[in-house]
Amino acid sequence: MIGKRTVTGRIGFALAILLLVSFSLLPFAQILSTSLKHQYDWGNPSLIPQTINLDAYKELLGLTEAKKVEIPAAIQKILNNPKLPQDKKDAIAAKYMSNDNLFPFGKYMLNSVIFSVGAATFSLVFSVMGAYSISRLRFKGQVIIQRSVLFVYMVGGVLLMVPLYQMAMNIGLASSLWGSAFCLFLIYIVQTLPVGMYMLGNYFRGIPFALEEAAMMDGCSRKEAIIKVVLPLSLPMLATVFIYCFIIGWNEYLFASVFLKQYPEFHTLPLALQELFVSKNAIWDRIMAASMLTLAPIVICFLFASRFMKGGKTDGGVKG
Amino acid sequence: MTPLERAEAKFGWKLVAPTILILGLLILYPLMYNVYLSFFDVQLNGYKTFVGLENYIKLLSNTDYYSAIGTTSLYLLGTVAGTTLLGLAMALLLKDPFKGRGLVNAAIMLPYVAPVISVVFGWQFLFDPISGVVNYLFVDLFGIWSERTNLIGNPDSALWVVVLFDIWKHAPIAYLLILSKLVSISRDQYEAAAIDGYGPVGRFFHVTLPELYFVLATVVLLRLIWNLNRFEDVYLLAPNVQTLPIFTYYQAFTGVIDQGLAAATSVIQLAVLSVFIWFYIKKIMKW
Repeated sequence: MIGKRTVTGRIGFALAILLLVSFSLLPFAQILSTSLKHQYDWGNPSLIPQTINLDAYKELLGLTEAKKVEIPAAIQKILNNPKLPQDKKDAIAAKYMSNDNLFPFGKYMLNSVIFSVGAATFSLVFSVMGAYSISRLRFKGQVIIQRSVLFVYMVGGVLLMVPLYQMAMNIGLASSLWGSAFCLFLIYIVQTLPVGMYMLGNYFRGIPFALEEAAMMDGCSRKEAIIKVVLPLSLPMLATVFIYCFIIGWNEYLFASVFLKQYPEFHTLPLALQELFVSKNAIWDRIMAASMLTLAPIVICFLFASRFMKGGKTDGGVKG
Repeated sequence: MTPLERAEAKFGWKLVAPTILILGLLILYPLMYNVYLSFFDVQLNGYKTFVGLENYIKLLSNTDYYSAIGTTSLYLLGTVAGTTLLGLAMALLLKDPFKGRGLVNAAIMLPYVAPVISVVFGWQFLFDPISGVVNYLFVDLFGIWSERTNLIGNPDSALWVVVLFDIWKHAPIAYLLILSKLVSISRDQYEAAAIDGYGPVGRFFHVTLPELYFVLATVVLLRLIWNLNRFEDVYLLAPNVQTLPIFTYYQAFTGVIDQGLAAATSVIQLAVLSVFIWFYIKKIMKW
């Protein structure tokens, strides 16, 4: 619109695009750059490392050999004392050995995958059922349900954290490890279900009813018509919704911190990263490498999903 | 009701039942339970004693609460204006097809989908007083500031870092919403305006802006709704910026724990939020 035909117009346009893209990508470039830098290089404003340092990645992915941690001389003396029973010696030695894996990244990643993939799967199933019902079937109360879903969709987690925690406390779930994990799992389903229903509901409305009708005339029941006609037609949208729900779970921090903070073995990635950041083991290259690895699955999912999103790009757009 | 209609209704209820159950139990019930809790002194272990309106009185006489409201207002003002304007600028810039638009699109969408926890560390490093490039630019290269400062460490300046972060992260979604309307404005209208003697700027004000009015209102309202509840983006980047959600979180789970007070804060916030949501459903969705 703004005189793109002149030379100055073209240059201005290119500059604006360049500026915009740099603004969007600079923090990512910074993360990647710092994760690859040696410590002496951090103060250097250039984004290109002087020498590439892969140690942080190797450490996080468990590719380094288990280093034998040095035992201080005074402790070594005690260990060499022949009077000390062997089992006590082992116990003392173990204290100095167990430190080698400071940040079990693989475990946290697995936790995150279980929570977000699991919740997204349940959420997808329920939202297919719910969305079909409110977009296709006629019954009393349908409009109220539709509005409630939209309302619920916009109520943020912060308004729910106290009552949900207290409810979990009342029925005794919040005081055990598996109970807390179960609560978090349910909460992730609830956080993603309205989005899924909203997106799928809009999509189902766009599928011509005649297709289902034809299937039903050929002797399919309604259920079969859904499974054989509607779902195959919605595959791209189902994938998008799944990825969308997965991303929400993967990125969630608030409820993970409320329910799982005291159970380090169940920490999800956001929680673990934040704990690492405030701990004494916080080293920039390790944090940045962990950030990069947390980011990677999302970027891959996004690139995958954006191929599907050509048509209804803004379907999920009200969230966020 | 014919038997066929009755069967359809029954099937409809059956399909939507799990959703109603889950959403009712874990969202609608907690919202009501929250109102109940706000009249109690609530311990972290679930122990409660009835205190009547005391939580509300305590809250309304707490100066920190008012400063949280002030911070939240500034945050909302900055982020809503910033996201909408940047989103509009992006949509105008990228409206017409050009070579490589797909790549540019993917690049500018990335902040929106990326996990908050990862990108906050990138931002923290950018603003780091010792190694960060922002201090390098403003102190060493341009000499605008006299000394290196910890912008995130100071709550006053951290608020604006958090606002900038939110604009960076959420302008893409404003861009998508505005773009989808922008591309649907017909060429005829621009041509008619050109014949009437309007230049590019005049055409923007007389054609584009009136057409976008509705979608801009949508963006503003949605940003208000989401940012009123925004927790992670603020807390993880700069935990010292106390917007209302962060204020509530601190009351509920850190230091001197007072979950009843936190519940009261949430009740007031829900009331404000409900007005926005009602407005959205009535005026924008027109349901």
